[in-house]
Amino acid sequence: MAGLELKSLRKSYGEVEVIKGVDLSVTHGEFVVFVGPSGCGKSTLLRMIAGLEEITGGDLIIGDKRCNDVEPRDRGIAMVFQSYALYPHMSVYDNVGFGLKLARAPKEVRDQKVREAARILQMEHLLDRKPSQLSGGQRQRVAIGRAIVRQPEVFLFDEPLSNLDAALRVDMRMELSKLHHDLGATMIYVTHDQVEAMTLADKIVVLNAGVVQQVGSPIELYQRPANLFVAGFIGSPKMNFVELSVEEVGTDTVTVSGKDIGPTTVPADPTSLKPGDAVTLGIRPHDLTHQSSGNLVGEVSLVERLGNETNVSLRLPSGAAWLAVLDGDHELRIGQSLPLSFAPARAVIFNASGIALHRKHTGPQIPGSIAEA
Amino acid sequence: MTVLSEAGSAPTHGGRRAIRRSPYPGWFFLPAALIYGVLFLAPTFASLYFSLTRWTLFNSTFIGLDNFAQFFREPFLVQGLVNTVLYAAITSGLKVVLGMLLALLLTSAIMGRGYLRSVVFFPVLVSTVGVGITFTVLMHPTQGMINETLALFGIKGPGWLVDPRLALFSVALVDVWKGVGLATVIYIAGIVAIPKDYYEAARIDGATRWQNFLYVTLPLSRPATATVIILSFIGGLRTFDLIWAMTRGGPGFASDTIASVIYKQYQAGFYGLSTAGNVVLFVLIGILVVPLTMFLNRKQGHE
Amino acid sequence: MKSRPSIFLGIIAILVSALVFLVPFAFIILTAFKNKQQATLLDFSWPDGFHLWSNIVEVVTTRNWMMVTAFINSTILTVASVTLLVVFAAMVGFVLARRKTRWNGLIEFLILAGLMIPPAVVPTIWLLQGIGLFGKLHGLVLIEVAYGLPFSIILYRAFIATIPRELDEAAIIDGARPFDVFFRIILPLLWPVTVTNIVVQSVGVFNDFTNPLYYLPGNANATVQLTLYNFQSQFNTSYNLLFTNILLITIPPLLVFLFFNRHIVAGMTAGAVKG
Ligand SMILES: Nc1ncnc2c1ncn2[C@@H]1O[C@H](COP(=O)(O)OP(=O)(O)OP(=O)(O)O)[C@@H](O)[C@H]1O
Ligand SMILES: [Mg+2]
Repeated sequence: MAGLELKSLRKSYGEVEVIKGVDLSVTHGEFVVFVGPSGCGKSTLLRMIAGLEEITGGDLIIGDKRCNDVEPRDRGIAMVFQSYALYPHMSVYDNVGFGLKLARAPKEVRDQKVREAARILQMEHLLDRKPSQLSGGQRQRVAIGRAIVRQPEVFLFDEPLSNLDAALRVDMRMELSKLHHDLGATMIYVTHDQVEAMTLADKIVVLNAGVVQQVGSPIELYQRPANLFVAGFIGSPKMNFVELSVEEVGTDTVTVSGKDIGPTTVPADPTSLKPGDAVTLGIRPHDLTHQSSGNLVGEVSLVERLGNETNVSLRLPSGAAWLAVLDGDHELRIGQSLPLSFAPARAVIFNASGIALHRKHTGPQIPGSIAEA
Repeated sequence: MTVLSEAGSAPTHGGRRAIRRSPYPGWFFLPAALIYGVLFLAPTFASLYFSLTRWTLFNSTFIGLDNFAQFFREPFLVQGLVNTVLYAAITSGLKVVLGMLLALLLTSAIMGRGYLRSVVFFPVLVSTVGVGITFTVLMHPTQGMINETLALFGIKGPGWLVDPRLALFSVALVDVWKGVGLATVIYIAGIVAIPKDYYEAARIDGATRWQNFLYVTLPLSRPATATVIILSFIGGLRTFDLIWAMTRGGPGFASDTIASVIYKQYQAGFYGLSTAGNVVLFVLIGILVVPLTMFLNRKQGHE
Repeated sequence: MKSRPSIFLGIIAILVSALVFLVPFAFIILTAFKNKQQATLLDFSWPDGFHLWSNIVEVVTTRNWMMVTAFINSTILTVASVTLLVVFAAMVGFVLARRKTRWNGLIEFLILAGLMIPPAVVPTIWLLQGIGLFGKLHGLVLIEVAYGLPFSIILYRAFIATIPRELDEAAIIDGARPFDVFFRIILPLLWPVTVTNIVVQSVGVFNDFTNPLYYLPGNANATVQLTLYNFQSQFNTSYNLLFTNILLITIPPLLVFLFFNRHIVAGMTAGAVKG
């Protein structure tokens, strides 16, 4: 039974701080996904948990033990690498059994566990092969098998599917999901891929430049992003933004307007706002509809007709580049002006420092909220 | 703030006591460092001191730079110095040129390529002393096969190893004979590594064979050239075994190099002087090879 | 330009190479077959009779079977020093390639220095005498190790740099201790470069003349190269024996050449290009 607790975890390489105080708690059995742009520190954080990187500051607690200075083998973790990292000179059987051999497990126990893992991953027929005789997907299975036999409390994955082709990626994703369900172990998973994050995670952690931006369930992050960064990062295609100013402040609404959009009243928490403040309004491309009496107008710069939907790139009068995904097929000319509208409840208002001003109830988790709790 | 509390709480967790070991333990250096340090580095440093002494292995008298002064005063020692540089220059020059030519030949579609490569390379692996003795016999002024063959064509062959003006060059030729295979192999590796695209591009531009060589092969095999020059130059400066097997530095001191002088002074019991010879050789290698390396690598950078 | 193999050029090259490179070896072999009188002529003629066997017997038995002792000594020297070289150099190459510290620059400098600087012989002799290793075979083993380390380390380091570090990390997570990581994961993967190292270094040590000359004086534990050198004056007039000797000590490198040609070439060029 091992949850995981990260308390203001820090990592510096010399002068450069790469992980800047991460707080996170993971309960047993959770599937947690780290996402963030390249170089934000996802792998570093994962490797700190694994014990492959020294921890500069803070506490790492696995189960109920502080593990900062514990050897990787004693942390109850297993890790699957992006490049699989199979031992090229060993057969699949020996690859999977290597950890048990090092732990001096009796031969029968080892054999039984290796075969059990092979059965779970349906690779019994591969046991005698060398890694070089396997396909990418099969190698991935072996790498996972190597993790399974250790019966870890926590599985760590660093972009495990990124070397596979698209179709195989979908298959393996489902298998991982099933594996998580069957084993009931805690899993921490690093990925670039939004879809992987959204489909696999119980909880997504969005990182940027070594700082946690938001922690929450996939839908929470999609619907109630904590700030501009998360709003822009989660969801594909990307959320549209436009800069506006506050006209009027209501009790749980705010009326905004600007060059591109006439006065619109949007539900939000307006307590920190006053008329005249600069804000940013965000709206997802799917939430835009084509309506002759729309509240904004853009000039069409590119049209992609997919049949069931139409992707329209637009330029707003202020010069902002937007994208609208319209249902059904629309015949549009480049250069024509296109009136659009959206439901105000779908829009998100961000204050001048980029923090989302959602209405109060079921408050979203914002940075620091865990620490405060 | 968090940093403070972390620093305060760490010792109570007792975590600091178990400093994790690096997976790449420093003691892996130990056996190698011990052997290398004691048997190579220590004597090298000791030589700096002993070169300034009159030394009997049991006691040493400090005599300042006398040994070095002697090195640059005695004509036969000065000749050893000159010979060393000459020998290194000749052998590395010939190895570069011949190695390049052989490599060009042996990378082209030529009959018997595998055989030729083997034959050229094999002498590299043969005992230097054996080669030295064999060529001493072959180069015998009257009975030697080389001069007997020349005599068939009515040419009176020179006294390869007995003519003081020629001895050093004769040994250098044998050195080239034995070592050109290595230069060739390095060049072959360099030439094979040149991407075919360059030749194709050159062909589209209508380059002739000669232009191909001049504008593609030659510049792009520059790293190989640098390696061959540096390697054979250092080798040439250090050469001892071939010279010792063939001429023992003779006739007279005509083919002495610093390395053979070091041995002779050692045999004669002039340990301080012998060690000074060693230091002279370090310095020579330092002042010749370091700039040479830098020069060759600089050229490499700008293409 | 890459049409059919050039036959004309090929024939010329084969003839010239035969003249330049094969005739000396043919001369060695022919002379080894001759008797003393014919060998003294030093010419390139067919042997009058088959005297190779008696020549071999005489070379081997002369001076109290010294040749046999020498072969044993050379074999011990080669096997022992190459074994130590391989293990120690691989260990250094491993840590050097993996761990970046501020010492790396210095270590690399020392390695390059070792490739360039000739050893200081008399101080080395003085030191060997001090620690009781002068004139001892095991002393020479350590000397060969010391002098061969830079080259082997460079070969190993370059190769280890191509082995993904994730392999070490996977092993560490699997519970491997540093010792296991090296001996169970890395060392087996180094096999190709280890073969290269073994081949190149053993040819070098077997053929080494200078170091035995300095550090292993006396006939009791002479190596084959020293023996040949000593025979040079003793067999001054018996060229058949001298060349039989040369022929005998050329056999080991020849065998190595026949079996490991590719490895030697790979090793020499790799090491050379890196160094
Ligand atoms: N050994 C190191 N020394 C200095 N900086 C490093 C080192 N390793 C990583 N970094 C820096 O730490 C930051 C985080 O790296 P990390 O590998 O964790 O990124 P990532 O989020 O996994 O990116 P990616 O998605 O591209 O894998 C990067 O900016 C990287 O440059
Ligand atoms: Mg990463």
